[in-house]
Amino acid sequence: MSNSDEITIPPKSKRLKHENEDKLSDLPDCVILHILSFLNAKEVVRTCILSPRLKNLWKSIPTLVLHSTNFSTFKSFTKFVSKILTLRDGSIALHALDFERIGSIEPHLLKRIVNYAFSHNVQRLGISVKGDICHILPCISSCRTLTSLKLSVSPKGRHNYGRTLFPKSLNLPALTTLHLGNFAFCASDKDKTEPFSAFNKLNSLVIDNCTVKDAQILCISSKTLVNLTMRNHSSDLYKIELSAPSLCTFAFTGTPYQKLCGNNLSSVKQVNIDAEMLSNYTEPPLVLLSWLLELANIKSLTVSASTLQVLSLIPDLLKDKLTSLCNLKSLKVQLKPLSYGLSMTLRTAKFQKEFKAGSEPSSPIPDGIVDFLIQNSPSAEVDIIDCSRFGGSFDNLPPFPMSSIFPQFLQPSSREPVVDDLRQRIQQLEQAVLEVQQYIQLAHEEISRERDEMSAIQGHMSMLSKTLAALKRQMQTMGLWQ
Amino acid sequence: MAAEKSSIKIITLIAADGSVFEVEPNIVKEMKTVQSYIDELDQNTVSIPLPNVFGNDLAMIIEYCKKHASEEETKEAKEEFDFEFVKRMKSDDKLRLLQAASYLNMESFLQFMAKAIAAEIENQSVEFVRDYFQIESDFTPEEEAELRKENEWAFK
Repeated sequence: MSNSDEITIPPKSKRLKHENEDKLSDLPDCVILHILSFLNAKEVVRTCILSPRLKNLWKSIPTLVLHSTNFSTFKSFTKFVSKILTLRDGSIALHALDFERIGSIEPHLLKRIVNYAFSHNVQRLGISVKGDICHILPCISSCRTLTSLKLSVSPKGRHNYGRTLFPKSLNLPALTTLHLGNFAFCASDKDKTEPFSAFNKLNSLVIDNCTVKDAQILCISSKTLVNLTMRNHSSDLYKIELSAPSLCTFAFTGTPYQKLCGNNLSSVKQVNIDAEMLSNYTEPPLVLLSWLLELANIKSLTVSASTLQVLSLIPDLLKDKLTSLCNLKSLKVQLKPLSYGLSMTLRTAKFQKEFKAGSEPSSPIPDGIVDFLIQNSPSAEVDIIDCSRFGGSFDNLPPFPMSSIFPQFLQPSSREPVVDDLRQRIQQLEQAVLEVQQYIQLAHEEISRERDEMSAIQGHMSMLSKTLAALKRQMQTMGLWQ
Repeated sequence: MAAEKSSIKIITLIAADGSVFEVEPNIVKEMKTVQSYIDELDQNTVSIPLPNVFGNDLAMIIEYCKKHASEEETKEAKEEFDFEFVKRMKSDDKLRLLQAASYLNMESFLQFMAKAIAAEIENQSVEFVRDYFQIESDFTPEEEAELRKENEWAFK
């Protein structure tokens, strides 16, 4: 080695494999634990019987994924949770705990889990439960190591639409990721609530099915926030005020009811919207349009086809000029099956239109809407992604070539020798058989699609009537309905 | 930061089978094993033999690093790349790349491979997992039964 630049990194382990060596032998324990930390805790413990090396390795697991769905009974789940908290090596820090229990949870069990997590310096904590979590909020509210928190609390009982009040005094200085499900934010200042301003390092925020209480404005103010995701179907009337100078991406799933406002939304570069409507109301399409006007400087817009359908419900939308979206570089449209609520709405809207003007072809993307969106950025790249919906209808099937086949079969040509003539007719018949098979195949698909749709509509119908009945019952008990 | 301080422009990586890869310093930033050697040097070029990584694997790792180091690529494009990257790999490739990632001390790539492997053994039987890692059980049936009994709360 004459070149002084040459250096050698010595091999860490032997290169030659012994015959009885398995694929894990070359890997240090920490790497194996890394693989295991992506599995749910039940599977992690079960690796103990794989080999002597793995017999006790699970006790060092740095993450715990505890989901009740992995257990057949609540009793076996509770026992598992209790056992693993006792037997896990307590000297090892717990990086992450993800606890999910669909159904109610005993307060002392939840408290024990949360206490364990915090006494082992948990950094990422996820808790999804049904019921009350007020007794654990004080422990959470002053955790200095927490970088990621997911709290999703479904209300107890079937017909309770209540939400947990989001505590005002959370002191989580290291928090970068926050995911909240089913919370209500209380007004702090007149009619305004500003729940996130105390998190000085917040980078990503997910607000899932949350609302405000006694407030008209939900103010999301954060100097550091980069990603904001909202999922919401609630028609509660309030405004969302964005005061986040670093905000780069905004994603929304649900029905747009709340208007966005903010002094400076020009930092937002990417917007993903999957809008939908369960019935025909006038507000959501208009709110959706107002968002696109507010988020004027975005470079990339990804929308579902249903978003465009919702937008197209604005009467005479295409006649107006769009005043925003001048810097759009990319528009992506994701084709997905429409929800039944929305497709019913669209059908009704279409029928109403058809009475006025002649019928028009139904298409997953409304005519002219893509051009409408890119009218101020004609060079934007447009991508239509993945067509998962079966698009054909009977009109699109190839015409059945009945007339072209039969006369030839019935009248043998007199000009050609008999054998050739027969051969030709056999060929034609085979071709005809193929075409008929293809036609039957397509017709089958069409029929089963129609049947699926029919049963889905029936399902939708019965769900609607059940909800209606439940609501009536509830109102009756409250004495509001006679 | 270390790469900015030194004047290295091109790094030559030599795989176990002798194949040579020339890469820019930002590509190897993720490879802490390599980076620690570079940090001690102050030359324009440097070549580093990696006797534990084969050419094919190193090519894939570099492809991954290039994509993820790029500032032009969107997060979405990177995610799609990751998806396709894992899709074209067999189980053996994943385990070899995990080993390489462990040897090169690449945090996020290690995480990525560990997750891909975990996805394969998730919800599988003990026999499948043993087969997957080619583990010959050293436990006698009695010992295994004993272990199952000891941890019966996890085998329900």
